[in-house]
Amino acid sequence: MSNSLNEIDALVKRATRGAGLSWGMAEEAGKAVRWLASHQFSGATALANLLDEIDGREMRELAPASLEGSWAAPKGMLCPLASGAALNDCASKLVEGAAIEMTNVCQPMLMAPFAAWAALQIGAVVEVAWQDMCLQSDGYSLWVGDPKGQVGATSADALSCRRVTGRSEYLKPPAHRRQVDATTWARLNVYAQRTYAPATEASRMLGAGAGVSDND
Amino acid sequence: MSQTQIPTVPLRTPEVVMRLSRLGSFHQSRLSFMRILIRRMRREEWQFSRPEFTIDRRGVGHAVYCAHTPDRTYSLIAFAHDLPANQRSDRVIAQAWDSTFTLFDGVPNEDDIERLRQNIPLQEAGRVSGRELSVSRANRSVRLWEEVVACLAKGVQPEAEAIAKVGYLMRTTAVYGSGKLGAADREMIADRPEFAAPFQVEMLSVFLTRTYVRDLVQHMANMRGGETSAVLDPKIARSMGIGNSTGLGMAPFLLNHPKLINNWVSARETAIARVRAIRTAKSKDITSFLELFNRSMLSVDLWQSEHPVQVGKLELLRNDMNALSGYINAYDFGASQPWDSLYLWAEDALGQDAQECLASLMLEPYGELVDDLELQMSDSDAAMFSIDGTMRVAELRSQLAQTYDWALSIDWTQKEYSARAWYVSEEKLEPRLGERFEEPIADYEQPLAPGRDAAALHQALQDWSDDATLAEFLLAHPEHRHTARRAQIVARAPYSEIRDNTIGSDLMPIDMLRCKLSFFGATHFDPRSDRWVRICLFGNAPYPEELHSHGGDDWPYPPMDVSA
Repeated sequence: MSNSLNEIDALVKRATRGAGLSWGMAEEAGKAVRWLASHQFSGATALANLLDEIDGREMRELAPASLEGSWAAPKGMLCPLASGAALNDCASKLVEGAAIEMTNVCQPMLMAPFAAWAALQIGAVVEVAWQDMCLQSDGYSLWVGDPKGQVGATSADALSCRRVTGRSEYLKPPAHRRQVDATTWARLNVYAQRTYAPATEASRMLGAGAGVSDND
Repeated sequence: MSQTQIPTVPLRTPEVVMRLSRLGSFHQSRLSFMRILIRRMRREEWQFSRPEFTIDRRGVGHAVYCAHTPDRTYSLIAFAHDLPANQRSDRVIAQAWDSTFTLFDGVPNEDDIERLRQNIPLQEAGRVSGRELSVSRANRSVRLWEEVVACLAKGVQPEAEAIAKVGYLMRTTAVYGSGKLGAADREMIADRPEFAAPFQVEMLSVFLTRTYVRDLVQHMANMRGGETSAVLDPKIARSMGIGNSTGLGMAPFLLNHPKLINNWVSARETAIARVRAIRTAKSKDITSFLELFNRSMLSVDLWQSEHPVQVGKLELLRNDMNALSGYINAYDFGASQPWDSLYLWAEDALGQDAQECLASLMLEPYGELVDDLELQMSDSDAAMFSIDGTMRVAELRSQLAQTYDWALSIDWTQKEYSARAWYVSEEKLEPRLGERFEEPIADYEQPLAPGRDAAALHQALQDWSDDATLAEFLLAHPEHRHTARRAQIVARAPYSEIRDNTIGSDLMPIDMLRCKLSFFGATHFDPRSDRWVRICLFGNAPYPEELHSHGGDDWPYPPMDVSA
């Protein structure tokens, strides 16, 4: 049976937090995977792969070292959640003719929702491209050009985001359901479990503040 | 072209409204979600049917109740169970219930019902599809249930007094919607006018559940008493609502949906300001207010609780309502802006509970003036999620100082101010509240202390220059991302943030529960502890077959002859 987008969002948020990211970043991750799921992409798998890579690492090792010039991590790969959030925070930089370039991006698919929300902020269509593929969105709908099946690439040496002109009639609207495969769900659950406090008798008795009889 | 100047009264400020003690004193109003649903059902002349009711002598089986709107049909599918007493728990961690339900989009066929029979009785352990809009369960009030069945089976009516003491035959212990357990997301149905206002799916589910419960108690009495059984007096039936037993799950909701809460509170505050601005009250409006005031006094009299805090609040409320009654008797409604003067007197002379009761009551005669505000109570503004990273540090600093001034003056290192931590237990993911310095829970803390976090953000900004952008700051400090987002939301939606400490040693989580439940339209809040409350929904509401014949929009106020 398929999943609702809300339950995908909720699990991803918890899993991302479980891997050590901040709550604010975890919120973005939940919404990002939800957005991808609504466009029938396996964002949940991309995120599970990402969490395996960045689990327990400091975000400053993975985030753009600077927002000037081409965005790159201090060393190694760039986290798409960190660079995606940064892209959103400075969406206004996406003026005509000025692309934001990034290098060595892990799980580049996860950049797509952030580019889409940037589009929403600036009221234009934004394109994100790596290798031979490109995605365009107005924030809501999406167009995908992926002749070589690279949307699920584990990394992109070079990725660019830019504002594009043109009409948006060819963009495809999102759907409301998405099946997340059981393996991915279980992988995310392992991370999410870390956010749940272990069950103890004291917690059971006190934590919810019930304990009086319900047979009345 | 000249226009008559419409007098205006400023909205009550968030600093006044968004305090826990006031939120914990809210009362239902015309803008409550049950009221909105019933108004629509009447206006659109919804029809109702019960195509299936297959329940045996032990009370086991299923039933289907359909609500037919002008365009669609929604069906409540109810599964009735025979629950051993030792399994009856209102907690999320319960595993079995007296009855379980789902609201189905359309009319279910046999396959649908069989699929749901395998899943709905399991609740959280089951799975549903996008055809299901909600999943819920209910437990009996054991004593009242048995009393009503026994009386009817003997051919007599149950005593109204016994009914008034409890107020319901079954109480729901969770009503899940919005994609939970695989059900349809709100976004799937939000464009249907009947679900435009918040929580209409859940309210419809509970409305139909109440009818099922009335039918089931009658059915069980008929099974026991045979032909000589009495038919439950419609007046008594109407006095009964559906109970609801609510724990901590609702408190995080208020904090996790800041924009939505803003829209609810802002709609009610706007309504209050509109009524206070009325220059002259018409005599029919005064009459209507006075009648509902008296019925409201009766409702407060019928309100029962054994919880010491609530007992104290009720005593104060009753005294205040008497004082208000005395004041109203001598009040000159012919004066200019009479509602404003009345409210201002109450603000000075009465406690918050009575102030909020009066504020809600004042709206009653003015449906034409305020009911349109129900259209503003949903949250569809997805753009609110994005952070404006071009904001300068100086601006954020002053924003924080303005909204969170109360939090910036707290020494958060003092244990009493951060004594508690909100967490989620691995046991069925039940939300809980614990003692940070006594239990090993801090590592699992949920982000539900906006005041403390705003103070931490303010502190972190000290080292940054005024001209730095928020984008730069958040790149270096992703741990403040959550709070920066809230600060920007509250700048645009002033009622989105509670202006009190949500982790202090003196926190009463029931205040947060009552706020949300009052917007549902709940009455007779009966706390069972500081973090657990029972309430009544749809008490005195018409049943489906009475919708178009019985009573008006003022149904939440008990009729004066209820105890006669």
